[in-house]
Amino acid sequence: MRVTTRRVLLLVGSVAALMVTLHLGQQVLECQQVLSERRHRLMRPENEELVMVDANHVEYRYSKDMPLIFIGGVPRSGTTLMRAMLDAHPEVRCGEETRIIPRVLAMRQAWSKSGREKMRLDEAGVTDAVLDAAMQAFILEVIAKHGEPARYLCNKDPFTLKSSVYLSRLFPNSKFLLMVRDGRASVHSMITRKVTIAGFDLNSYRDCLTKWNKAIEVMYSQCLEIGRARCLPVYYEQLVLHPEQSMHNIMRFLDISWSDTVLHHEELIGKPGGVSLSKIERSTDQVIKPVNMEALSKWIGHIPGDVLQDMAHIAPMLARLGYDPYANPPNYGHPDPLVVNNTHRVLKGDYKTPANLKGHLQVTQNTSSPH
Amino acid sequence: TLMRAMLDAHPAVRCGEETRVIPRILAVKQMWARSSKEKMRLDEAGVTDEVLDSAMQAFLLEIIVKHGEPAPYLCNKDPFALKSLTYLARIFPNAKFLLMVRDGRASVHSMISRKVTIAGFDLNSYRDCLTKWNRAIETMYNQCMEVGLQRCMLVHYEQLVLHPERWMRTLLKFLHIPWNQAVLHHEEMIGKAGGVSLSKVERSTDQVIKPVNVEALSKWVGKIPADVLQDMPVIAPMLAKLGYDPYANPPNYGKPDQKVVENTRRV
Repeated sequence: MRVTTRRVLLLVGSVAALMVTLHLGQQVLECQQVLSERRHRLMRPENEELVMVDANHVEYRYSKDMPLIFIGGVPRSGTTLMRAMLDAHPEVRCGEETRIIPRVLAMRQAWSKSGREKMRLDEAGVTDAVLDAAMQAFILEVIAKHGEPARYLCNKDPFTLKSSVYLSRLFPNSKFLLMVRDGRASVHSMITRKVTIAGFDLNSYRDCLTKWNKAIEVMYSQCLEIGRARCLPVYYEQLVLHPEQSMHNIMRFLDISWSDTVLHHEELIGKPGGVSLSKIERSTDQVIKPVNMEALSKWIGHIPGDVLQDMAHIAPMLARLGYDPYANPPNYGHPDPLVVNNTHRVLKGDYKTPANLKGHLQVTQNTSSPH
Repeated sequence: TLMRAMLDAHPAVRCGEETRVIPRILAVKQMWARSSKEKMRLDEAGVTDEVLDSAMQAFLLEIIVKHGEPAPYLCNKDPFALKSLTYLARIFPNAKFLLMVRDGRASVHSMISRKVTIAGFDLNSYRDCLTKWNRAIETMYNQCMEVGLQRCMLVHYEQLVLHPERWMRTLLKFLHIPWNQAVLHHEEMIGKAGGVSLSKVERSTDQVIKPVNVEALSKWVGKIPADVLQDMPVIAPMLAKLGYDPYANPPNYGKPDQKVVENTRRV
């Protein structure tokens, strides 16, 4: 082909036209994208970061994806001891029972249980996803802000473990510690200490054991559903007889590095980074003491004969959890020397409740509410 | 519902349906704060007012933001939420409030004849409903006055339906939102994107699909038992306080704009 001026001009013109077309085409695509983005508008929070600041102005981020720890169980099963021992760890903060987390969980459950209500809520755009987002936000704020900041946040409200499956979904990296105790001991404790718990008739061992059974059954089955990687049943008796071994196991489960402080929670009561206690909580006067065996078999001889006879029938969960319903008491095991020592000191009277932690001595001062 | 539907018609505003859960969480929060015993226990647990407020803000925001389409101005309509008006004004410092006010006799006639279940209201008794109406509107009105005219505006239903353009202009100015003609034609935006989303379970849906009209203004006349009519100012003192003559059946609410006359004819 001969190179003529006309052919060169034709070539240059074609290239120019091509370039203009490509440019215009690109504009159109960008324009379409902008338009479609406007149609699929997004709401973004103004403040993406959730932050807690401690006394030294150190910032800790928190989010629904953080490794939260939830501790629970039937009341009087050692839940406060468990959280106090974890609180003693410098990097963990549980703090007192929030009281309101179980209540909002109960409300949330009520809203979705009623088919009619669920339908009305869906019609209003208040779907499960929306409710879950609101629940995450609420629960997170309460947990993060009701105590000191810490790397690992933890919550102890006994009855939250009735919603552990739901919580495990809301907080995908959370783990659960289900406190398990011989129901006979828990029931004896609530009756003798007159700890009001909604639904439990403190005048009747039979009724309380029946309610204990129902509650632990629900919590235990959810714990199994969540699975061993995320929910660990912790036996109160084993915790107090062999605290070192139990705590090593628990810290390993939680994937948190060991600290000896967890074996001496009684030295960190009321200290910063330590164990914050509420004067109105019913276990405060016990948990200021070191891990001891005082409470293991107090129930012996106090349960009415007819209830003892029907025990296996009233509380089948006892056997399921490994407690012999006819043994009074079962052989829980032999205490570590540390615990023998502690118990000795406690019985001597070494640990008195400090004045600032003495609550009212009213009978119905503190109600725990199952849902 | 009419108020929120008209605002929903504005392209920059989204209210959406009643969330149902917002009044419930507000009520429960109020219970915790009111019981001094419980408040003390919560404080002991570190769950102070500050913590509760933070949690409430987070919860309410998630519901309001996520239950409908995004928009520059978000709006919420749950009638009884305004029983916590002052609280909401505190936790949402830039929020504004529209308190819908209507002749209690008309509201009560509506709930009774349409059988709209409202907790605490005995639909078998005009007297009881008027008493409850009075108590409720008094609470809300007082809180509206408390937060002040910059943040809370009273909107009389009768005036809104008789003179929609005048009132919508006043309203949008109060809200600092630019005028848009669409707010006068909400019936054209039903179910449309950026328009008015309605719930089939809400009781006003069948009325609000119609344009602004005066159908409902005086339906109550002749329906209220004579003994109640006689005791009216004693049963419902808020009527007079809000400018409704308790002995006039009905009061003269005013003359409708031409547009509204036409709408009512079409309806």
